[in-house]
Amino acid sequence: MAHQIVINSKTIDILAILMLMSTIMLVGMSRLKNCIWAYAFRSFILAWVSGLIAYFSGIHHIYITTGISLVLKVIIIPGFLFYIINKVKIKNEVESFISYTLSLLISCGIILIAYYSTQSILKFENVFMRHCLPVSLAITLVGFFVMITRKKAITQILGLLAMEDGLFFAALSTSYGMPLIVELGIFFDILVGVIIMGIYVYRIKETFDTIDTDFLRELRE
Amino acid sequence: MEILGLLLVPIITAGICVFITKHSISKYVSIAGSFITLIYNLILNCAIYSNQTLEGFHGFFYLDSLSILSTQIVTLVGFAAALYSAGYMEAELREGEFPEKRLRWYYFLFHMFIFTMLLVCVTNNLGIMWVAIEATTLSTTFLVGFYNKKSHQEAAWKYIIICTVGITLALFGVILTFHSAKGALGEIGYALNWSNLLKVADGFEPHLMKLAFIFILVGYGTKAGLAPMHTWLPDAHSQAPSPISALFSGVLLNCSMYGIIRYHILTSKCVGPAYSGTLLMVFGLISVVVSIPFIIIQKDYKRLLAFSSIEHIGIIALGFGFGGMYGVYGAELHAFNHAIVKSLLFFCAGNLFLKYKTRDMGNIMGAMKTIPVTSVMLVIGVFAITGIPPFNIFTSEFMVLADGFSSGNLLSIVFSAILLVSIILIFIGFIYNMFKMIFGVPAVTAKQGEANKFTVAAMSFLLFFILVVSLYIPPLLSKILRNIYDIVRNV
Repeated sequence: MAHQIVINSKTIDILAILMLMSTIMLVGMSRLKNCIWAYAFRSFILAWVSGLIAYFSGIHHIYITTGISLVLKVIIIPGFLFYIINKVKIKNEVESFISYTLSLLISCGIILIAYYSTQSILKFENVFMRHCLPVSLAITLVGFFVMITRKKAITQILGLLAMEDGLFFAALSTSYGMPLIVELGIFFDILVGVIIMGIYVYRIKETFDTIDTDFLRELRE
Repeated sequence: MEILGLLLVPIITAGICVFITKHSISKYVSIAGSFITLIYNLILNCAIYSNQTLEGFHGFFYLDSLSILSTQIVTLVGFAAALYSAGYMEAELREGEFPEKRLRWYYFLFHMFIFTMLLVCVTNNLGIMWVAIEATTLSTTFLVGFYNKKSHQEAAWKYIIICTVGITLALFGVILTFHSAKGALGEIGYALNWSNLLKVADGFEPHLMKLAFIFILVGYGTKAGLAPMHTWLPDAHSQAPSPISALFSGVLLNCSMYGIIRYHILTSKCVGPAYSGTLLMVFGLISVVVSIPFIIIQKDYKRLLAFSSIEHIGIIALGFGFGGMYGVYGAELHAFNHAIVKSLLFFCAGNLFLKYKTRDMGNIMGAMKTIPVTSVMLVIGVFAITGIPPFNIFTSEFMVLADGFSSGNLLSIVFSAILLVSIILIFIGFIYNMFKMIFGVPAVTAKQGEANKFTVAAMSFLLFFILVVSLYIPPLLSKILRNIYDIVRNV
């Protein structure tokens, strides 16, 4: 049993690192389409982790959330984002207020901070999640960083989705996920939120002829 | 079961409204729906009065004095806003601002908004509360961008992005709370129910709970309009149609504050009231101070009112932070007072906009001669919101200040002193900006008279409550406020 837990937690660690890498890809890549692929990839890994946790913990409702996140985050949301960028005909570049090199450096700093700040909490944790909490915090913070430094509306949505993924992972690894009804509510909110934001990307493109949010500057004091 | 009815009425109303394209019918459906909700809530109010708490669906719904006050505010302002919408949207429609068929979406989202806010207040499950607060953002984004022009789209985009990020941070707080409670709780099923959590809150892991409260305060604080997370608020309030601005300011901010208070109670029981109380005080004071310069230099009257909301949500946070009997009682009374007065002011602002087609205060002169009824209401509202003695907000601000000064804690006394000075400065800014607009000789010869009778009815309805609470606090309200103090103090 103990042996199994060690293997299990090693697998989850590797998957966690893969998720973290795909989040860093969001920071480092310039083509919008690749960023969406990176999101789909991360969501797939996340569903994998959640399936593993469901299997080893024996809590059945995690299977349901695994299934939903597989359909929603790997297929529907990336598909919708592809549909939107085709519809508004965005060129590939992801523009940023900060250069790519500096962004990557800052992301590394964020990961260090995430590890450092969770040290004190981790003392009383089980072996299962020695890396999970810092990694999930790092994903959340990198997502936040992407949101505030990127100019394109679509990239901001991707940053937000990275934040949600990080939190989903945190909930999963610390407490085997939230109660089922709460998870369902959260999925619903994410889906509706992304659809509304997508509609606004389209409308902003129609009226401003750009989705560069730096041009949204009518409302100032 | 009784609680479910309260949620069903707005959903059914929304469902009916979406199928009615004629505004002459849908406005009455909308008014009727919100009136039934209001009456229903009054009945629940009486049940709480005798019974203290109500539960439903195995503890999924939970209603105590703290939540019933919030639902009371939602339904009261909701009814006034539905009444006002009928008149305001009618006038906008006649101007040709939007096609008539878009209005059914307006009423649909309006009632869904009411539903989500009621859900925030009546749910016992902290996870569902999070879902509901996020749903308030989603249901109102299209209302902020209703006119679909450049500035409206900008406001809507800012609104959904900033609020969703804030709420996402709050989700981390929810997860941490859940995690910190794991040791104390045992079984997992209804583990996020607030009433269950409260029973075992002294067994929580304190480090995690402290961290969780910070995330909750920043996250829900974004939605509540606490500075420095308030940046979406003036844009969304000024760009949304006036009835929606009234709901935002009076009710939505209050619902998010309600979420913070629930966690404040848990954290207080876990690590003592000083920790979360001090945080609430600091954010509250920052909000009050930040709003001063923007109120004084403001040119746009709807933005002026929006910044005033930031000030008042700050005062409510300060009252809970001080934490004494008068502080908590005053803060909740202030929430009620602010909701009705600010809604009245936004209705007046809507009427001004209908008449002059500008939000710039420099372009309006002598409103008293052109729209007398609105102007009289506006003068009363301005006096009430700035805390002039006969009116209700004076009472609640006085209570909060008295609690701060008498607490014996040096920090509270310094904060109260700063609050007192801020209130005076804001009073000057308000009077200076508003009275320039109300009095004087009308520059342009606009047609005299009010937009229509619905807007006047809505304003009179709120004015009635303002005057009643100014004269005395009804025993029902007073009992509920005292119960809230017991809940917050955890007696």
